[in-house]
Amino acid sequence: MSRPTLWSTADMDEDLADAVDAELSLYAQQGQNPAIYDQLGAQIEQLEPLLAIQQHMAALAAVPDVVKSFIVSFHQAILNRDLPSITIFYTTTFPKLTDRFYSRTEWPEPEIIAPLLSSNEATEDQIHIFLVLYRDLYYRHVYSRLHPNIDDRFHSYENSCELFNYLLNSPSSADDNSDEPAPVDLVLPEQWLWDIIDEFIYQFQVFCSWRSKVKSKTGDELMMLADGTGVWSSYSVLNVLYSLIQKSKINEFIVALKEEQGKEGARSAEEVAKSISPYTALPLYRTLGYFSVLGLLRVHVLLGDFTLALKVMDQVGEFLLGGSGFGAKANKSSFTALPTLPATHISTHYYVGFCYMMLRRYPDAIRTFVTVLNFSQRMQRMRNYSGYERKDQYDQIAKTADRTLALYAMCHSLVLPGSPFTRLDDNITSTAKERYGDQMGRMSKGGSDALAAFEELFLYACPKFINANSPPYDDPDAIALLLSADPTEPAEGSPIPTDPTQRHLRLFLASAGAQSPLPTLRSFLHLYTSLTTEKLSSFLDLAKVSESDQETVEEAEEEAIQEMMVLKQNSRSLSRIVPAQGRSEKGNEASPAGLTVIGTLLEGEMISTSDLNFVIDDNTIHIAESTVGRRYAGWFIKNTERSQRVLDEIRGSPLPVFKGKVGQKQGAPGTVALGAESVATNDSAEAAQKKAPTKTVAWGGAGTRTTLDA
Amino acid sequence: MSASWISPPTRTELIENLVSGVDRYNPSNVGILEDYLYHQIRSQEYDCLANLAILKLYQFNSDLYNPDVVVNILIKALGASPLPDFNLCISLLDERSPNATLDEPDPLPALLPVLHGLHHLLYRCRFPAFWRAYRSDQLESLRDNYTVECAGFEDSIREVVIRAVKSTFTRIGTDRLGLYLDLDSPEELQAYVDKLGWTFNSEGTVVSIPPNPDNQIEAVVVQESIKLPQLTKVISQAARP
Repeated sequence: MSRPTLWSTADMDEDLADAVDAELSLYAQQGQNPAIYDQLGAQIEQLEPLLAIQQHMAALAAVPDVVKSFIVSFHQAILNRDLPSITIFYTTTFPKLTDRFYSRTEWPEPEIIAPLLSSNEATEDQIHIFLVLYRDLYYRHVYSRLHPNIDDRFHSYENSCELFNYLLNSPSSADDNSDEPAPVDLVLPEQWLWDIIDEFIYQFQVFCSWRSKVKSKTGDELMMLADGTGVWSSYSVLNVLYSLIQKSKINEFIVALKEEQGKEGARSAEEVAKSISPYTALPLYRTLGYFSVLGLLRVHVLLGDFTLALKVMDQVGEFLLGGSGFGAKANKSSFTALPTLPATHISTHYYVGFCYMMLRRYPDAIRTFVTVLNFSQRMQRMRNYSGYERKDQYDQIAKTADRTLALYAMCHSLVLPGSPFTRLDDNITSTAKERYGDQMGRMSKGGSDALAAFEELFLYACPKFINANSPPYDDPDAIALLLSADPTEPAEGSPIPTDPTQRHLRLFLASAGAQSPLPTLRSFLHLYTSLTTEKLSSFLDLAKVSESDQETVEEAEEEAIQEMMVLKQNSRSLSRIVPAQGRSEKGNEASPAGLTVIGTLLEGEMISTSDLNFVIDDNTIHIAESTVGRRYAGWFIKNTERSQRVLDEIRGSPLPVFKGKVGQKQGAPGTVALGAESVATNDSAEAAQKKAPTKTVAWGGAGTRTTLDA
Repeated sequence: MSASWISPPTRTELIENLVSGVDRYNPSNVGILEDYLYHQIRSQEYDCLANLAILKLYQFNSDLYNPDVVVNILIKALGASPLPDFNLCISLLDERSPNATLDEPDPLPALLPVLHGLHHLLYRCRFPAFWRAYRSDQLESLRDNYTVECAGFEDSIREVVIRAVKSTFTRIGTDRLGLYLDLDSPEELQAYVDKLGWTFNSEGTVVSIPPNPDNQIEAVVVQESIKLPQLTKVISQAARP
């Protein structure tokens, strides 16, 4: 049955060769080409079913024992609903075994390992659902490590549908005579649930971009695509996500929780969930529903619908990242009823921020990016974040964070220099300058060079946009037309590039391009408190050389005035967060206390984004600049609190054993300084400075403590 | 202003349910939304999200595609500048298969560059250039077939102008304003300016624009304001015995 001549072991990973013996290589040979294997299998099955079974048996025998026992225990853990074990198997064991045995080949096919499961006391249904889950892992592995072929793409879709169908439409097992669907009794770790949704959308996106490349398809693939137009259709993907959201009633759950928050004797999240529906009561469905909302955000962005993407976040939006509200910091009470995974935060903020960028709401975009970049920097510092021992996952997060940083760099340039929003977080800005300094320099200069830099960063950092519809594979004539089309010939006069990424890029560049003269204009205004429009136009060199020509001069002046209106227009923006005291306190954004947040993600009010304001009085421009006074109080508060922490730490530490003689007198001055510090607020800086020397003497033995307590 | 953009007061409950619910994906509702668009065109209303819902349906169901509707949506979106509505609409116009079954040749490919150009002029506040382009011979078909049907199209563009002028100027030359608004005759301009509540100077050469938050400038020194909650930690520490 195997054809050793066709397959050479050279294809195999060298590391693998150490660990694996001839048995495994037998499996690897089969696994490498499932298409041929399937064909072969199908033929044999028709002729001699027995042979197929023997084949499976042989393949099973080839599976390493470690893997076999892993599968059996994994199945057992899921049967026992043993969440800690499932989590370990999922996040640690599976990736480890993958690295060891399957870094270049597929895991054993579900049909092969199926016999291992029947030895358990599991019912047929339970075995079936384990195989569906196993297949989910199997295909995810194919997508991430190998090259999925058309069969993999179709089958992974079918498997996902089967999984979601099981979750959504399983008949109630309690009383068999009702056809009403009931929640299934399954426990899976949050990370896995996130991966299920995330991977579902990822595979959809990969399929769409693969599908849109008509020319590279083989005859067989064309035929299968013509038959399978429903596979990975946008409607089916949206249907899954909306169904999960509706089934779990996640939005209703959140609304109810919000109502509960302010009340006396509020019910717990569990109680609230139970009162909504039997599905909502289960963490599995709540989590899936919540992740589906986030998934929907992503799907809408991929399809280019940025408003709808933000709209689906209406309810859940303010609870992400411990209630950071995308930089708004409105809801400090952390919301433990919803799962928090680093991957979720980073991906969601990335998509929300991108939407804001495409809506030209740069202040909101910047806030969103700053929140998540701070988060990811913290995460990088603790590299071994629990659950992220897996390098591939960590890399994925790091990559998204890097693309977010690129988007931040773009928005930083788009809010115009001198805007308070460029100073929102100096730490992130300097990180961005380190990473994208060259592009940021070019973007802030304006002109065509700036556009090239914007294009470069956009193409690197943008989501992988997709077309909602398949090319007309079911229409042979149309496909023939597409196949015969000359690739070098540009689409006839079409202003909209057919590739969705190009389309969004053009729109973005048109917006960014309209701003490109503004940095220069602003730098001139910066120097004056008033000047005439005529003078401005002469600075801008719009009149070229022929200044004697009256008409040209006037034209140049008109041009300058129109550009001023663009500047005005671009120094205002919709923002979700507005200064609480109204417009008089522009530029006060840095202090969170004076801000109010407006409703849902789509809402907002016009604010000024610039510290340079101007107005044209007939032909004279008046300019006023807002400056930020030095901030003392924040510094003092921060340091007072820090000194207090140090003091508390010192107080909490055990007293050291003294060997030499230390006079009680020495302790006294330290005591005074510390005691004074805990009372004084304004003199805290002084206190903080005194702290350093007193630290060493504060260990003044038992006497110190008694004096302090007194 | 954003609230009325998300949900215009003129939107009916039926449309609200379509825009906010899952029913927006149901192809059989496209007629209702298209009727609503034509209602907007006749009665000078504007509902961006409802129009985006039409484009969304076209995106998923290419057989529903109606180029006239798309052009009308884009024309309505022009009046929303400098908000990004026009770009949002374009974002949803997916690739079309070359032989889409239409009775007549698709006018959209020819009109799109034109509309793009107009939008670009508006977004860059090139108002005189916009009017020149709009009145040019090349755009005759756009005017005769589309904008003429759209009640108050020119006024909606004038509102774009007014928004820009109002926030940038305290006083503006009458000639310049006339040029921006494409109102050549003094009487028309007079009537328009009166309607806005703006005033001419005695010679009639300069129009004064009443103060609004955007055309009042003030050099502000932003001082930090400390709120009590920021001091809670410090105070509670101080209160500790």
